[in-house]
Amino acid sequence: MSTAMNFGTKSFQPRPPDKGSFPLDHFGECKSFKEKFMKCLRDNNFENALCRNESKEYLECRMERQLMAQEPLEKLGFGDLVDGQSEAKSKF
Amino acid sequence: MGRLWCPEWRCLAFGGWRWSHPGSLTRVAERTEPFLRPGWRGTRVAERGLRRLGTWKRPSLARGPSGETQWRPKSTNPFTRAQEEDWRRRNKTVLTYVAAAAVGMLGASYAAVPLYRLYCQTTGLGGSAVAGHGSDQIENMVPVKDRIIKVTFNADVHASLQWNFRPQQTEIYVVPGETALAFYKAKNPTDKPIIGISTYNVVPFEAGQYFNKIQCFCFEEQRLNPQEEVDMPVFFYIDPEFAEDPRMVNVDLITLSYTFFEAKEGHKLPVPGYN
Repeated sequence: MSTAMNFGTKSFQPRPPDKGSFPLDHFGECKSFKEKFMKCLRDNNFENALCRNESKEYLECRMERQLMAQEPLEKLGFGDLVDGQSEAKSKF
Repeated sequence: MGRLWCPEWRCLAFGGWRWSHPGSLTRVAERTEPFLRPGWRGTRVAERGLRRLGTWKRPSLARGPSGETQWRPKSTNPFTRAQEEDWRRRNKTVLTYVAAAAVGMLGASYAAVPLYRLYCQTTGLGGSAVAGHGSDQIENMVPVKDRIIKVTFNADVHASLQWNFRPQQTEIYVVPGETALAFYKAKNPTDKPIIGISTYNVVPFEAGQYFNKIQCFCFEEQRLNPQEEVDMPVFFYIDPEFAEDPRMVNVDLITLSYTFFEAKEGHKLPVPGYN
């Protein structure tokens, strides 16, 4: 689409990702988390809202293994999940 | 004409030319007005002077050694001669102003490109009209739960790249304001390492400005060793303002399409955006 030679029509401008590129997981260190996430998606008819815990765990795995820059989870949009977790932890 | 360009241009630049000022045009008009009144039967010299002002006919006098036309005032009367010299000076002034304006416009049009780029870099707009997506926005954004959007995934590979590249889910249902994770899988079935680099595309085009990728695997070289298979995640969200855009009312399907190309060793590709 962006290669169509249409003068005057706006062409798609790809934007670089906000936090750059994920380093490749050559050794499959987080593969189990990914499998859990994919299974959750398939079970829930591919609804993202129901599998956010699994996606959070996958990103945590990446951060632990230096495959992703460390970021507080609120900045990644998991603020509501983090509150629930800390509440559960404080109960114990 | 040589004299017209160099010294007078410098004089203008440094503001040293005292007797050229914007009123000169009006002065010329004032001077010519009496001659334009009907019934004026002045000297033929003044009329010929006027005619020369109005036409661009080159004087028939031969060019002097300096390159400039040998100009001799046509009258012997000292007053009209001074007048003609004055007109000639005024002519030159006006011509210099006009030429300066033309050159200024040309220079401004050339300077506009880097200046605009500089402006975009400082204000961070970078060509997109949507305000910047800081991580604070991600922290504070509220999911719009009643607007469900289906995101389908497409994977393409350039003919010269021998990877097997495909998405791991065909679609995913998200709402604006919620971060989502999706996976692609790539395998290098050959016996030598191959470096690929990818770009993406979002359809429909207008929805693309609301599609924000927090992190993905595009625009950077990704190296796959022989017989290696990796999972490539894309972490994205759709801007909550998507729900408020009247043009997006009918948009329920967004397609994210990635295409991988082979990267040559040492070849540096331009990354989009102003870095």
